[in-house]
Amino acid sequence: MIKEYFKISLRNLRTRPMRSWLTIIGIVIGIFLIISLLSLSEGIKSAMLQQLRMMGKDLVMIMPGELSDILTTFIGGLKLTEDDLKAIEKAEGVNLVVPMSWKGEVMRYKGKTKTILIYGVPLKESKEIFKTDIGWDLAEGRWPIVGKREIIVGDLVPKDIFPGMKIETQAYIKGKQFEVVGILKSLGSKQDDSMVALDLDIFREITGERKDAQFAFAKVGPGFETEEVVENIKDQLQETRKRKRGEDLPSFTVLSNEKMGGIVNDIMSLIQVAIFSIASIAIVVGGIGIMNTMYTSVHERTREIGIMKAVGAKNKTIVNIFLIESGIVGLIGGIGGVGLGIGLAKMIEFSLSSQGTFYLKASASPQILIFGLGFSFLLGCLSGFFPARRAAKFKPVDALRYE
Amino acid sequence: MAEESLIKLENVWKIYQLEKLELTVLREINLEITPGSFVTIMGPSGSGKSTLLHIIGCLDTPTKGKIFLKGKDISGLSEDELAQIRSQKIGFVFQQFNLLPNLNSLENVMFPMIFQGVYEEERREKAQTLLKSLDLGKRILHRPSELSGGEQQRIAIARALANNPELILADEPTGNLDSTTGKMIMETLINLHKKEQKTIVVVTHDPYIAEYSKEIINIKDGRIISNHQTASKVLWSGKEHDKRIF
Repeated sequence: MIKEYFKISLRNLRTRPMRSWLTIIGIVIGIFLIISLLSLSEGIKSAMLQQLRMMGKDLVMIMPGELSDILTTFIGGLKLTEDDLKAIEKAEGVNLVVPMSWKGEVMRYKGKTKTILIYGVPLKESKEIFKTDIGWDLAEGRWPIVGKREIIVGDLVPKDIFPGMKIETQAYIKGKQFEVVGILKSLGSKQDDSMVALDLDIFREITGERKDAQFAFAKVGPGFETEEVVENIKDQLQETRKRKRGEDLPSFTVLSNEKMGGIVNDIMSLIQVAIFSIASIAIVVGGIGIMNTMYTSVHERTREIGIMKAVGAKNKTIVNIFLIESGIVGLIGGIGGVGLGIGLAKMIEFSLSSQGTFYLKASASPQILIFGLGFSFLLGCLSGFFPARRAAKFKPVDALRYE
Repeated sequence: MAEESLIKLENVWKIYQLEKLELTVLREINLEITPGSFVTIMGPSGSGKSTLLHIIGCLDTPTKGKIFLKGKDISGLSEDELAQIRSQKIGFVFQQFNLLPNLNSLENVMFPMIFQGVYEEERREKAQTLLKSLDLGKRILHRPSELSGGEQQRIAIARALANNPELILADEPTGNLDSTTGKMIMETLINLHKKEQKTIVVVTHDPYIAEYSKEIINIKDGRIISNHQTASKVLWSGKEHDKRIF
């Protein structure tokens, strides 16, 4: 019987193509908005989490500044001083501190010049941590020898930035000659895959940076709880800053890897909720559009409803026919919206990746697709519910008499 | 009447509540329709004859009184239960034809069978047979708007017959047709009565059908004023000397 209702509903929609399509477009816009934004934010979230996941659980991250204005920290150039680094090292449970610095520098390779992010990493002490805990893995070549002017490059450097770059060739940073000794496997983020890493001491030497760092890892010693060590580091840092500089409220962010993941997840979920609530407005408008169309349709077809009832249609039948009709409108709108939404997200992904500024993968997971389609169908049915119920409530005689 | 009635109305009233006014459309209606009879309901416009037909056909419910279908009281049934009875036992033919405009002739005739759970193939076959028997074989794929009034009404008759009901109700079936076509439609109804022994109730002004009818019910101001058994050929005269049976 459902098959018959489907046929009738489709027939009804086709008799008023203009109105049907306009209503469908209303849904397309709402679903398009929600899907494209969700897909992008889901992509950002999974990229960030993926990166964190590659790191070990017993790592603590230390950043200068409050987490709430993390962007200011990175742009404003807040640093961890040498004293800070020492304080971290002194904290109970800290096995090893890995300071990290980065700077954009001009690099020349085979006549081509590009600005590239240079990472200074303390290779001597922490090569093993980079390998095991942070997930740096060589695709080819070897690690730089400490004290020598040797660099390793991210996965995308020989692919995108200096196409055809090979190991055992020479590159120039700030006019100084370096040998490319290794190429890393992808680290899962465009930014990390586009960098060049070298020993921290040599980094400081060529960039003229002092003995501080923008960022530091601390590895938790055996037998210590990560969260406990986080607190120890905070205490040590505060004490040191108070003593050395007289700061009352020193601002640091000390986080375990796990917490960081949680925070990323929380922030992104919050953003997604915000997106969803804004896009919901568009969807509600679309839903009202369906409702409006369906009420008009019920009104116009009052007599038909009477006829159907006269020849034996039950109330449920009438409800079903109208619900299927509005459900189809919702579903078609959903298909259009999901298609356009994923399309836009993919376009943004493509244009961002071709610019090379930001790494982002638009997520087109089956969940998003099913959500989009299911949601729009449901929306259609929901918006059609009241009009359908009104249609079913007509008394057959009254409906038949309706002109 | 010894045989069991198909439809029996017992002291049926229909009162419409209009804002502050009460409008009594039917009062004290007692009526029995026996299987295989051909009943004509006649009366001036506004007399309540259509309302009476609607109540007989379970399209409307009485304000007071009882209706029995084959001896079973159906006055208190739900809307859906009444829909089931309409679908199974009653076929309607309206003055306005009332075909579904988006469906073609065949689909219009197939439509009522959906509610009896008939499979599509069988629906199609039966509808085709019905349309052919009414000389509409060439019109099966036309939409109502592409057909003449007479053709539309014959499709409506085919639709009324789709579920092989015992009772056919026709509400001024010739009201929107010219006299020749009207006569043809009436002949079709008469044929159904003669050949297939259907019980037929017609609301009409048409003297031709009244001539054929074995039973004429005259109604005025919501009351049955005469129930006239025309055993032989009697033309409806509008006189009020007929015997009252209830």
